[in-house]
Amino acid sequence: MTYILEAKDLRKQYPDKLALRGLNLQIEAGEVFCLLGQNGAGKSTTINLFLGFVQPTSGAAYINGLEVAKNPLEIKQHLAYIPENVMLYPHLTGLENLNLFSRLAGFAYAESELRRYLEHAGLPAEAVQRRVGTYSKGMRQKVGIAIAVAKHAKVLLLDEPTSGLDPKASNEFSELLRQLSGQGTAVFMATHDIFRAKEVGTRVGIMREGELVDVRPTTLLNANELEQLYLHYTH
Amino acid sequence: MMQSIAQKEFVSTLRDRRFVVLSVLVLGLLLAATLVGRARYRTLQQERAVAQQTVNDQFHHQPNRHPHRVAHYGSFAFRPKSGLSLLDSGLDSFTGASVFLEAHQQNSVNFSQAQQSGSLIRFGELTVAFVLQQLVPLLIIFLCFSAFTEERETGTLKLLLSQGVSLRQVAWGKVAGYGRAVALVVAPALLLAAWLLFGQEEVAGSPDVWTRLGLFVLSYAVYFFLWIVGSVVVSAWQEHARSALITLLGCWMLGTIILPKATANVGAHLFPTITKAQMDAEVHEQAQRGINGHDPQDKRSAALKEGLLKKYGVTSEKELPVSVAGLVMAESEAYTSKVYQQHFADLTRTYERQNALSTWAGLLNPYQAIRPLSMGLAGSDFAHYVHFQQAAEAYRYQLVQRLNQLQAGMGYGDKERKLDAATWRAIPTFEYEAPPLGWALGYLLVPTLALLLWAVGLCWLGLKVIDNTRVA
Repeated sequence: MTYILEAKDLRKQYPDKLALRGLNLQIEAGEVFCLLGQNGAGKSTTINLFLGFVQPTSGAAYINGLEVAKNPLEIKQHLAYIPENVMLYPHLTGLENLNLFSRLAGFAYAESELRRYLEHAGLPAEAVQRRVGTYSKGMRQKVGIAIAVAKHAKVLLLDEPTSGLDPKASNEFSELLRQLSGQGTAVFMATHDIFRAKEVGTRVGIMREGELVDVRPTTLLNANELEQLYLHYTH
Repeated sequence: MMQSIAQKEFVSTLRDRRFVVLSVLVLGLLLAATLVGRARYRTLQQERAVAQQTVNDQFHHQPNRHPHRVAHYGSFAFRPKSGLSLLDSGLDSFTGASVFLEAHQQNSVNFSQAQQSGSLIRFGELTVAFVLQQLVPLLIIFLCFSAFTEERETGTLKLLLSQGVSLRQVAWGKVAGYGRAVALVVAPALLLAAWLLFGQEEVAGSPDVWTRLGLFVLSYAVYFFLWIVGSVVVSAWQEHARSALITLLGCWMLGTIILPKATANVGAHLFPTITKAQMDAEVHEQAQRGINGHDPQDKRSAALKEGLLKKYGVTSEKELPVSVAGLVMAESEAYTSKVYQQHFADLTRTYERQNALSTWAGLLNPYQAIRPLSMGLAGSDFAHYVHFQQAAEAYRYQLVQRLNQLQAGMGYGDKERKLDAATWRAIPTFEYEAPPLGWALGYLLVPTLALLLWAVGLCWLGLKVIDNTRVA
């Protein structure tokens, strides 16, 4: 079978640093894979490799069976991406930002639909028509979530998406991820939040110095055990 | 997709207060320059038309006179302003406006505005061309320098690309969006200029002026396109907004200030012009080798007389049906004219060589391509000036020779007699017809080619840079 997300001996060498040493990973539809690790462990490099923004030194990343480096535009149809700090166009309103990004992905939504996506992502209705320059980080993050959801992608690539969200919004986001995974969306999420990883993840991986040192199903661990495991690998 | 990005850049630009302030300033300057140019054009045009009419009337209303007196009385030719010179006055402020037409010598065209104003004019005037050539590029730089750097620094570029857009599409979209914003600043001034031109009956019906205006607009469109593409590409190439801005400002200074001055100096050094005094001395010396019409002792005059006596089969000057003095004058005029023509042609060639160096520098510097193109289309460049000079000389020569023929026809003893006042009224006055666009095109070939080469080259280079732009 083809996996939604796959890495084969994926390796990235920067001039000064080996960022990723031979990653092998398969993620199926409906899976929520949480990648834990310290800053600089290679989580963001992995996501950038899947997005095709960084070229691998050797090995390959695949999205929906397509090699990323060879199909940089086609693979984008299947993925949606939320960065750690969603930055949008400050002179456009939240609605205009969502409309722009959706159009670029090939979706021309009516205004009512766009509003529904924003509302669904938790953006207050009064903010929809305001310029993004006036938004808080959390509000921008919610527009980012709406952009990703409105794309109806097969896989979500998330780089610490809940940073900056308050606990309530963070909880709503977990709920949203569960919903999406129930509909068959694969999620690949880099995070520092062990509790959140245990809660929404189906599997967790721990990364250290560019190496995936452990992968476990979350059902077999409680949050405490996961934390102990994480500390064990990182110290 | 490009359309969406262009729209986003356009809307964002219009909502950016910094840009709005800057563009209102530039737009105001452009409109002011158009109105000032129009006022200056009208004043000069009227002055010159009145002056030409006055000297024409004076010429026609001479009393009974000997034709050679009339030839020395002479007339003036005033250079009419071209319709589009209100947009680009080119060299008009520095080239002469009028020339005294008289017997025996070709005078230079004198009384330029620069000659008659204080030294301030040397610092440049506010013309539409100045704003379009130098200030609009600055506006473009401020508008575009952060096109890519900002998106990369904030991370919107990654989000944009993750939606399935290519870097090339982003770049073209930006170019289109910024282009629309620049058009919004420039178009009102050009529309105002077109409307003002339309209000002038002498230009309104002339397809030549409209074609020139059309090409003028098109040339500047290409010029702005170059600056926009260049700025976007530099923004993609440089890591930080600050270094992109400094690079672009450096290019602007090099292109609009340093290179033009350097090529002008190199041109003057490589092809030195002789001084006016030197040229006058040389002309005087060479002209003396011909027949001197005012010297009855001249040997060549005697030879001419001998020939005439033989031709008409008579023995004395008295029996000749023609005036020897008149024919000697005609002969002498033909000779001195040739001498003057040669020296003026040499001088013109030297200037043309100096100008050519600057025009060829357009291949290195688009500013030096748009400048000759713009003033060539506006009819205010050196070639148009020389055209006037030559037309004035052609008129002078035929006028003087016509008067010499009149004198010759008076027969022996012409010096004691005069011709009727009505004779002068029958002589047509100087009427200048500015050359059509087709004539000017030859001079505009190199700058046009240079601009197009830049457009193609920059796009090609730009795509290379864009393709290799680092995203993450």
